[in-house]
Amino acid sequence: MVTILNGNMKTSPNGFDLYVNDVARALEQTTQVNTFHLADMKIHQCIGCWSCWWKTPGLCAIKDDAEPIMKAVIHSDMVVFASPVIAGFTSSLLKKIQDRLIVLIHPYIEPIKGECHHRKRYDKYPDMALLMQKEADTDDEDEKIIADIYKRLAINFHSNLKHTWFTDTQTTEEIAHDLSHI
Amino acid sequence: MTLAIFNGSPRKQKSNSKILTDHFLQGYRSVAGQKNVITEFLSAKDQMVQNLETFSMATDVIIIFPLYTDSMPGVVKEFLEKIYFLQNNRTKNLGFIVQSGFPEAIHSVYVERYLEKFTRRQGHNYLGTVIKGGVEGIQVMPPGMTRKLFDNFKKLGEHFAEKGEFSNQIMKKLKGPLRMSKVKYIGFSLISKTPLLNFYWNSQLKKNGAWEKRFDRPMETQAKGF
Ligand SMILES: Cc1cc2nc3c(=O)[nH]c(=O)nc-3n(C[C@H](O)[C@H](O)[C@H](O)COP(=O)(O)O)c2cc1C
Repeated sequence: MVTILNGNMKTSPNGFDLYVNDVARALEQTTQVNTFHLADMKIHQCIGCWSCWWKTPGLCAIKDDAEPIMKAVIHSDMVVFASPVIAGFTSSLLKKIQDRLIVLIHPYIEPIKGECHHRKRYDKYPDMALLMQKEADTDDEDEKIIADIYKRLAINFHSNLKHTWFTDTQTTEEIAHDLSHI
Repeated sequence: MTLAIFNGSPRKQKSNSKILTDHFLQGYRSVAGQKNVITEFLSAKDQMVQNLETFSMATDVIIIFPLYTDSMPGVVKEFLEKIYFLQNNRTKNLGFIVQSGFPEAIHSVYVERYLEKFTRRQGHNYLGTVIKGGVEGIQVMPPGMTRKLFDNFKKLGEHFAEKGEFSNQIMKKLKGPLRMSKVKYIGFSLISKTPLLNFYWNSQLKKNGAWEKRFDRPMETQAKGF
């Protein structure tokens, strides 16, 4: 199962949404796909209250549209962070749900290779992929900065960043093909 | 010179970012007096227009935030997006303070690269990014454990008021090593086998009557269907 988190903002050109929908449609031939169009959902930012770690372990205190996303992510083999690049990074909309995903991790700390990380809450976490649309001045350095940050995120989520795609260099069929072979 | 400090923590007044900012400002004001400093919270309700105005008129800007899932909290990214699209964006001196829960600097050096590139792309003058790990527990630590940290933030503020920049020497002290040293790692690995390492979480779990539920997996067990 693949979950696509589409962080395209209402203000950005909607060509990106069409692209994401094409990927989802092509992928549906071979696997179950959940696409969340975040701009149409009520997603509050994480308020750092730690309820999900020390009051109601594994459950977020904020009651909005985020819980189905959290469930879909933890049941998936792959989660795709999809967003146009805005100001050199994925969108703030995507970042807000990304922050909420700490609900899926355990507060306990374990040292790994000279670094602290949090323990797993669940047995299995999905692989990760990035699907982005370049802005006018996106260059190779931007791509590396974004991918490196998501690689760090993957470490903290006991996962791996498997792909970094851009809409101008990859066809939707190629992406669907890559995703159907996970 | 007008200095604006934006606090990017969603915890706002109750944030560790606020505590560190207060110590920075104590040092800053001891040199520069009361004038020309504005502090704003990025998560304050309906504050975006005001925040953008403050940003526009400031000559020096510091954005302080907690590391959230290996980069800036969503609300900080939102602010950066708004700045990015500002018209007549006058060149300013822009610096950042990133503080995190994990103690090692390695966690924050990736977002630092982003912040530097963002600043340069905008044509602003990059003042650098102060990195400080191990901050989550500061509100429950005894004063002896935070004295050095607060002192360094005070000195950072003094230096900023004098020179208009972050002191490299203090930045280096605050940042510490990229990863744990071998000795520390071995010690840490041993402690991690005892309840000591997670004392902070355990005491809160117990206080909240949630200890028995600490390994719950509610997203797994609740009915499926997304
Ligand atoms: C949603 C969320 C994500 C976080 N992600 C990280 C992280 O990736 N690395 C880290 O070291 N600390 C992380 N932290 C811990 C915070 O950076 C730390 O608790 C910080 O001191 C909070 O500061 P504040 O009170 O100013 O918000 C995270 C905290 C929250 C709530």
